[in-house]
Amino acid sequence: MEAFYFVPELLFYILSGLILLSSVMVVSARNPVTSAIFLVLDLFFVAALYAKLDAHFTAAIQVLVYAGAIVVLFVFVIMLLNLKPEALRGIRFSVGEAVVLLITLAGFAIVGSELARTAPDALAPGNLGAGAIELAGGNTFVVAMRMFTAFLWPFEMASVLILLAIVACVMVAKKDKVLGAAHHPRGGSAE
Amino acid sequence: MIPVENCFLLASLVFLCGLSGVMFRRNLIMVLMSIELMLNAVNIIFVAASRNLAQVDGQVMVLFVITVAACEAAVGLAMVIALFRRYGTVNTEFLRLLRG
Repeated sequence: MEAFYFVPELLFYILSGLILLSSVMVVSARNPVTSAIFLVLDLFFVAALYAKLDAHFTAAIQVLVYAGAIVVLFVFVIMLLNLKPEALRGIRFSVGEAVVLLITLAGFAIVGSELARTAPDALAPGNLGAGAIELAGGNTFVVAMRMFTAFLWPFEMASVLILLAIVACVMVAKKDKVLGAAHHPRGGSAE
Repeated sequence: MIPVENCFLLASLVFLCGLSGVMFRRNLIMVLMSIELMLNAVNIIFVAASRNLAQVDGQVMVLFVITVAACEAAVGLAMVIALFRRYGTVNTEFLRLLRG
């Protein structure tokens, strides 16, 4: 623990390195199960980063929803489909992919230079610093107050979206009686 | 105090990881996981900016992003299952019905 006092924000840089490492592993692993496990690791490290950035409620939700629900869904589907490890193709750029990468990098450059140019106080900071949040009753209380007053309408819309997603999932994934899979011979392998 | 630029740099790199996964992987499930990575990068920016600006609106937005990500993952995986049942593969090179 002593090192955390000597090097300022050492924990942040350790977490950043771990997040980057596991992100690269998610994308580059050949086996989808390996990718899913590294995705869980990545999400846990990001949750730790949220806690380091004083967003305690967000960190808890990150672990509960992302690592607890979404990745479990991924692992379940991977097991259901019984996929074989994918043969990684080499990095061959098509023209469209190169254009997409260039546009993304240009967007990063524009946003970064814009952020460097504008002073941070030009962005109208609020009055909820770490100390004020502690005084007001903690992170969860402050977020809940904000969510159920100013963001009440989007919150209700989110519940409608979840209902839509449930109906859509059932409709998409259920067996189609008319155009069943029996009429279509299975081609290719799950690579 | 963590400089907010470092958080933005970290988020950009994670986003690039996710983007390259979407572009170079040929497994639909891997593509969906890469999309989760990209959404996660956006969440990092939200939380860092929320702390830097001393307000909690960014954290509320993260909750909405997580909701949308959960819906997207569920619908996407349902589509993957339907596609696999019908075509027997989740490789994007074989699923080219909409490619002219």
